[in-house]
Amino acid sequence: MSAPHEAATPVQDDRRQERAELAQPASGRRLEIERWAILIVFACLVAGFAAAIPSTFLTIGDLSNILGSQAVLFILVMAVLLPTIMGDFVDLSLGSSLGLSAMTLAVLNVNHAVPVALACLAGIGAALLVGVVNVFFVVPFDNDPFIVTLGTMTIVQGLIYVISGANSVGVVSTSLSNWIFTNDFLSIPLEFYYGLAIFLVVWYVLSFTPVGQKALVIGQSREVARLSGVRVNRQRSWAFIIAAGIAGIAGIAYAGTNGTVDPTAGSTLILPAYAAVFLGATAIRPGRINALGALVAVYFLATGTAGLELLGTQSYIQQIFYGAALVAAITVPKASRDRILKRKRAT
Amino acid sequence: MGQGEVAGLVGQNGSGKSTLVKVLAGVYEPEPGGRLFVSGEEVPLPLAPGQASEIGLSFVYQNLALAAGLSVLENLTLGQRIGRGMGAWAPINWRQEHRDAAAILGRYQVRLNLDQRTGELQPVDQARLAIVRAAEDLRRYRTRSGHKHSVLVLDEPTVFLPEDDVDRLFDLIRTVVADGAAVLFISHDLVAVRSITDRVVVIRDGRIVAEVPAGEMEEQALVDLIVGTPARASGSAPAEPARAGEVRAGQADGAARGATGVSGPRSAPEPGQDVMVEHVAAGRLEDLSFLIGAGEIVGVAGLIGSGAEDLPYVLFGARPAISGTLRLGARTLDVAGLSPQRSVRERIALVPADRAVLGLSERLALWENVVMLVEDEHYRGGVFRRDELLMLAREAIERFEIRPPLARAVTGTFSGGNQQKAMLAKWLLARPRLLLLHEPTQGVDVGARRDIYRFVKTAAALSQMAVLWVTTDFGELAEVCDRVIVLSEGRPVTTLAGEELSDDVLTAAALRQIREVR
Repeated sequence: MSAPHEAATPVQDDRRQERAELAQPASGRRLEIERWAILIVFACLVAGFAAAIPSTFLTIGDLSNILGSQAVLFILVMAVLLPTIMGDFVDLSLGSSLGLSAMTLAVLNVNHAVPVALACLAGIGAALLVGVVNVFFVVPFDNDPFIVTLGTMTIVQGLIYVISGANSVGVVSTSLSNWIFTNDFLSIPLEFYYGLAIFLVVWYVLSFTPVGQKALVIGQSREVARLSGVRVNRQRSWAFIIAAGIAGIAGIAYAGTNGTVDPTAGSTLILPAYAAVFLGATAIRPGRINALGALVAVYFLATGTAGLELLGTQSYIQQIFYGAALVAAITVPKASRDRILKRKRAT
Repeated sequence: MGQGEVAGLVGQNGSGKSTLVKVLAGVYEPEPGGRLFVSGEEVPLPLAPGQASEIGLSFVYQNLALAAGLSVLENLTLGQRIGRGMGAWAPINWRQEHRDAAAILGRYQVRLNLDQRTGELQPVDQARLAIVRAAEDLRRYRTRSGHKHSVLVLDEPTVFLPEDDVDRLFDLIRTVVADGAAVLFISHDLVAVRSITDRVVVIRDGRIVAEVPAGEMEEQALVDLIVGTPARASGSAPAEPARAGEVRAGQADGAARGATGVSGPRSAPEPGQDVMVEHVAAGRLEDLSFLIGAGEIVGVAGLIGSGAEDLPYVLFGARPAISGTLRLGARTLDVAGLSPQRSVRERIALVPADRAVLGLSERLALWENVVMLVEDEHYRGGVFRRDELLMLAREAIERFEIRPPLARAVTGTFSGGNQQKAMLAKWLLARPRLLLLHEPTQGVDVGARRDIYRFVKTAAALSQMAVLWVTTDFGELAEVCDRVIVLSEGRPVTTLAGEELSDDVLTAAALRQIREVR
């Protein structure tokens, strides 16, 4: 029972343990590789495109295009992250919340001449309302969020058609477009920085506050969290509501970027957003849904798409890239880990 | 086992009843030397899992193994549909199935709605369904093989049933026996054993100590056989919810000091507080009152179904209570209004038995689990002091002798004993005033078990924390507790302390109480 380090001072002890942990067989080192795997592939991808199409790929214009064009998706990814991290794996309605927010803004601003700032607030408010409805049906009744949000997604999509008369609505006030898309800072559209700001807040809360740590426990084992005194349902509720609010902001960004709002706006974005979140869970902190990983994943996918576009491929080829990256990212590390475990058991 | 016989198998917790069942079911490998004969032919041991059904054995466990979401019909016929190669592709004629199932139920004179969801049935009907299914397997075995023998093993079938329902269950068992099977009836419920069985086999420490015709046996004599020594020392004095106790005073401190080497009786930085539990009613628990003094370890002994296993969760607010109050020093809490959040705030700690689901988050790092309850104290100026928490976890890992001492390793990779220590560390870091333990050494090796006893005793003595220890391992209670309350049918029936506290006396008290209540 007398371990060698017992007499050591805490600091030395700490270091020795740290070394012992790093010296753990394979699994430790493997985890290190896993952490950076996407970044390594990312770097290879950039190098590959740069070699293939140096004239267009490595330009400010292209960088601006990659960072700017994905801002709406990126904001939506931050929304998707929140319920997912708490173990409520799918909030499908977030895409529709985005659509509802954008459409509310457009209809009020274009058809009813409501000042654009007010219309934005109304859009976000509408999205928040969807979040509250989700909470009402998911949390107290303990329903499966997948099924409930499948329902609310469909309802909200229907509402979007009702308020828009099933038409695209536009063009929203140019002052909105200016503040979101047209104006830039360091040649990158402002919406990228909005996304970055939201990311920083989400990342800070999840990684550097007890709230984030509790969210993690709720996601990993809800009953443990409950018996440890965590207000599980309250925190899940806030996750749904704040996620809906962020999706609403993504809706505003969408309207500002495109000028006209299409009734199907959100539905095409929700699945890529989930792809990015799950892909992100294989990076930085493997096995855990994490904000930084999601950031990397979004821009990894965006870079791949942009590169393929510059190479002149059709957009459906890019879809294949998206899907393949996701499936590969969750399978490859697991396959290698299982093999390690088997080897360990054999010895 | 003779044909058409009902034999009872009784013995203390840990006497080897379930080991025997598991050997027969092919779960455990017996040590070489044992032999098993079926119809005069020797069957080589160990048995493979699933082999039992090929030699005419069928089991009904306490949890019944029914799929609650499926209908009665589906549960009854499910077994025949699993893993039969091409047979699995044969189309199902539901009408025919329906008729067959009705015939089966009719044969055992059990009336159930075949289309009802099994989970909606009364507990007794679920038990009857499970027994019918097992008996039917045996009957099929007998027709298929031409053998006359077959044995139905019932493991604690009456635990959760009211008395009227037990009679209905017995009618079914008699039908099964009349049909040709033998029944091995394993139970703590001596009344039930005496009324249904022809012959009682008593085992103790893994050996058969007696085999007697059930009718000729006085219950007191049976209890004596089970525990080994005439265990009358305790008497069956009616339970007296112990008030501020003379029993505890000297003794608790003495025991704790002995264990820790602390010299002063009150060397703790904060004075401990007595914990009073008053009139708690919840589930099977009826109007339970007792006191745990500061620094005292109070055990609760009870057989499965006595309600003892609910008590820690009820006092923590994790399971609903009907009424009751909990006094922590000057604070008075309504047990019915307790929630885990409230309990954590009031510094009540619960170490649950189900470690994987309730106790630790297995996929998180060990340190994250250990410091889970004190995180908030290390969040200052908008920064989460991860380094401090890690340091705290490392200290705890050292103090609680968790091996290997790797704070960052994933919790699920540690052995059961070390996870159990981590769980204890997690809750003791929160400096509880009342520590509730449920089966704290379940599935833990002897070394870790000693460590856990020592940690709890030390913590109780040093911080004058009140401890409630609930387990079905009565030997453990006798060893660590200052005082043990014996529960039966949700009521306290006796309190044992000091000299009279031993495994055997506790078992005798718990067994005898079933008789008295019935």
